[in-house]
Amino acid sequence: MNKYTDVLIIGAGLSGLMAAAKAAEQGKKVMLVAKGMGAVGLSSGCIDLWGYNLEDPNQVCQDPLAEIARLCAVNPQHPYARVRDVLEESLLFFRRVCQENGYPYLDHRGGNWLLPTALGTLRPTYLAPASMALGDLQQVRGVLVVGFRELKDFYPDVLAANLKKSGVLQANCPLNTLMVCAGGGELTPNTLAHRLENPVVVDRIVDQIKPHLLPGAVLLLPPVLGERWDSQVAKNLAEKLGHPVYEVANIPPALPGQRLQQMLLHHVKGRGVEVVIGCTVNGARVADKRCTEVLATGAGKPIKISAKTVILATGSFLGGGLESKPGKAWESIFRLPVETGHEKWSARDFLSMAGHLFNQMGIKVNEHLRPVDKTGEVIIENVMVTGANLAGCNHPIEKCGNGVAVASGYKAGKLAGEVGE
Amino acid sequence: MSSDYRLALDNCIKCSICVSHCPVARVTDQFAGPKQNGPDLERFRLEEPAAVHPSVGYCTNCKGCDVVCPSGVAVSAMNCRARGEYVSMHGAPLRDKILARVDRMGRAARLAPSLVNRLAGLRPLRLLAEKMLGISAAMIMPRYAQKTFLELYKPQNVGDTGRKVLYYPGCYVNYNAPEVGLALAEVLAHNNIRVEVEQFDCCGLPLIANGLLDTARDQAKKNLAKLQGYINRGYDIVTTCPSCHLTLRQEYRELFQLNTDPLHEKMLDVFEYLSVLLQQGKLVTRFEELPLQVGYHRPCHLKAAGCGVPSREILQLIPGLRVADLDAGCCGLAGTYGFKKEKYAISQAIGRNVFNAVKELGVRQAISECGMCQLQIHHLTGVAVYHPLQVLAQACGHGKWLAK
Ligand SMILES: Cc1cc2nc3c(=O)[nH]c(=O)nc-3n(C[C@H](O)[C@H](O)[C@H](O)COP(=O)(O)OP(=O)(O)OC[C@H]3O[C@@H](n4cnc5c(N)ncnc54)[C@H](O)[C@@H]3O)c2cc1C
Ligand code: SF4
Ligand code: SF4
Repeated sequence: MNKYTDVLIIGAGLSGLMAAAKAAEQGKKVMLVAKGMGAVGLSSGCIDLWGYNLEDPNQVCQDPLAEIARLCAVNPQHPYARVRDVLEESLLFFRRVCQENGYPYLDHRGGNWLLPTALGTLRPTYLAPASMALGDLQQVRGVLVVGFRELKDFYPDVLAANLKKSGVLQANCPLNTLMVCAGGGELTPNTLAHRLENPVVVDRIVDQIKPHLLPGAVLLLPPVLGERWDSQVAKNLAEKLGHPVYEVANIPPALPGQRLQQMLLHHVKGRGVEVVIGCTVNGARVADKRCTEVLATGAGKPIKISAKTVILATGSFLGGGLESKPGKAWESIFRLPVETGHEKWSARDFLSMAGHLFNQMGIKVNEHLRPVDKTGEVIIENVMVTGANLAGCNHPIEKCGNGVAVASGYKAGKLAGEVGE
Repeated sequence: MSSDYRLALDNCIKCSICVSHCPVARVTDQFAGPKQNGPDLERFRLEEPAAVHPSVGYCTNCKGCDVVCPSGVAVSAMNCRARGEYVSMHGAPLRDKILARVDRMGRAARLAPSLVNRLAGLRPLRLLAEKMLGISAAMIMPRYAQKTFLELYKPQNVGDTGRKVLYYPGCYVNYNAPEVGLALAEVLAHNNIRVEVEQFDCCGLPLIANGLLDTARDQAKKNLAKLQGYINRGYDIVTTCPSCHLTLRQEYRELFQLNTDPLHEKMLDVFEYLSVLLQQGKLVTRFEELPLQVGYHRPCHLKAAGCGVPSREILQLIPGLRVADLDAGCCGLAGTYGFKKEKYAISQAIGRNVFNAVKELGVRQAISECGMCQLQIHHLTGVAVYHPLQVLAQACGHGKWLAK
């Protein structure tokens, strides 16, 4: 099979989906192929932009956009330096798409939210879905942490104990926990979320919570309130209780990231993007510094795809965008060079504050997101690189993974949209 | 990618993406899920084949897990083998043996299709079948056609384009929905291409899904040999059923290690075939206006074929036609799955999203390539459901292909 398209996007993670949404909006014929789903479905669902101060990594950053401007001056190799020109408009675009699909993302007056995790720690993030956007914890006049008997990996007492220790709550703020029952069995986050779509089950939960509610309390729950982005579970629960409810960030698989992924997929399909998941790109033909054809396989069958512009949104090692063997790493489709340096790839501590070098590996690009070699020369002219495939950022430490994906995906989509006939 | 690699356990990074996309694991806690039944337990099965979780019978073989896995693990193939192992140890219930032989049921129904249809609709009989066999009384049965496709098909006189096309209709079209095969012949005749047909064995998917792998393997070998014969004589092979298509091309290779490479270039979904014609500028794009809005449901096995939605490009050429993607995931029927008493409720719960999407879009007609999806969507929503080919044949101008 041969396929032709204006813009081919390889990868269905956040950066690929953003690129698809933007290129399609500009009237291009867009095709998105991916081996599997992206990391966004494993993420908290929040869009991290920049977490901590450059000079003092223990201080939460109050103004991520300003901090990124400073970052670009001191570290011009950081992916943000390539997308700074569109950073704000990309965030606006992202929020508009979310809004249009009835799944709004909220910002915290331009600063970082400080949102509780299931462990009771607080993590900074820039944009949060409405169901997670819990304003200032200092202002809260009571907290009730609600867990479900059926769900493993969420322990209200742990959350409460650590939240108390963190010192963000007012000293006299009551902090209680409660275990409710959603009907028995042992459930995964997805199965529980499905069960909660049933209003009868929600009513039963409401009955169990009501006697424990103190005036003014907010409720913290695991991220299981609704299967899909258009679900009404969180809203209904809050209305029936007469108290605000929030989902906290939890380990994957957590629903908010999955909802964002579903919503964006739904959005791009609705905009005419041809989406093919379960199709692996194995290689490409390049002549005169242009990619003429991409070679893919779907269910064992070869497919050739030609496109004016190819956007490489294949992520990092996790999804196979980068591959490695001892001492050597490379990009898997175009064999673009990946600098590995001479140091060890990983730090001794898994949770090292310095971060792991392998997270910083990736493709070097110019300001048009085209891959470049050591001398800055463009390697392939009609290919652009986005997201976790870009070299130079350390997202788990810097808290910028989804932010880089949004901005670079948007920019690639925009540039692809400007390519003439 | 070789099937060894796809089966390799160590590729699994335990991300649980497959679990969060499994339509069954989403709605019931009776199923241990793709990761556990797949790569997790496969590790033990390598040593001890009996280490099969009985809940593996709850997998619908929709292949959603394979599609979403970022590491390319063939989770569903592991599940299929495990189920085969389970069935060979514990035997299959009579009900499963009956349901798995859609070809035999079709042949039996040939004797008196109207009578069979009438009996299949009788409530007391349905209740009896539920009690005795475990076939859900609530699910509607597919209706048998008065004549099979092979009986009805008459080669049309068309100009010679030098193209040779063999059609693999599959059991459902042959026994239940011959109009789809006739629509195919109509559309190809519109392009001056004559269709050849022949009696094939069932592709074997219902057998595979019910764990009866040995019989399926025998049929696979016979089918492949026959298809190879046509390929050798310069034929392209077209299919209209995504499940037959995927089974012939992928399952034969992944489950039975048969060489299906020759099929990759030569066997196409009929809309892929038409797309090739379009690309070569050889598709006759003279279509009548069809002022219609339809909802499109993408069958899981079409998704799993990794070829996108081939019908989309062609249907876009029909003036007046508006196709809205339902984008609602699996319909839940999964071939024989939803007919089983203990699984009916699960299948309906999965299909709920399809129901919601049809309601939300307010469409009165829907299209889908898979006959079983068509049945389920009709059962869930009451709307008329067609194969996209029927819409295309209608636009080609001859006959009433959308009458139901
Ligand atoms: C567990 C986890 C939690 C995280 N949590 C957060 C968080 O809370 N907030 C935040 O901001 N960031 C978070 N991040 C980081 C962030 O999610 C990622 O940096 C970002 O989503 C990367 O997006 P991407 O589009 O570049 O790549 P990915 O999401 O990795 O997508 C890559 C895509 O490419 C496809 N692909 C790869 N190779 C091929 C091929 N050869 N052919 C076809 N397709 C291919 C893959 O199947 C996939 O669809 C988290 C990351 C992880 C892993
Ligand atoms: S999606 Fe793939 S890698 Fe992830 S747990 Fe499932 S089988 Fe393993
Ligand atoms: S094939 Fe479908 S039902 Fe079976 S485990 Fe995979 S996703 Fe679940």
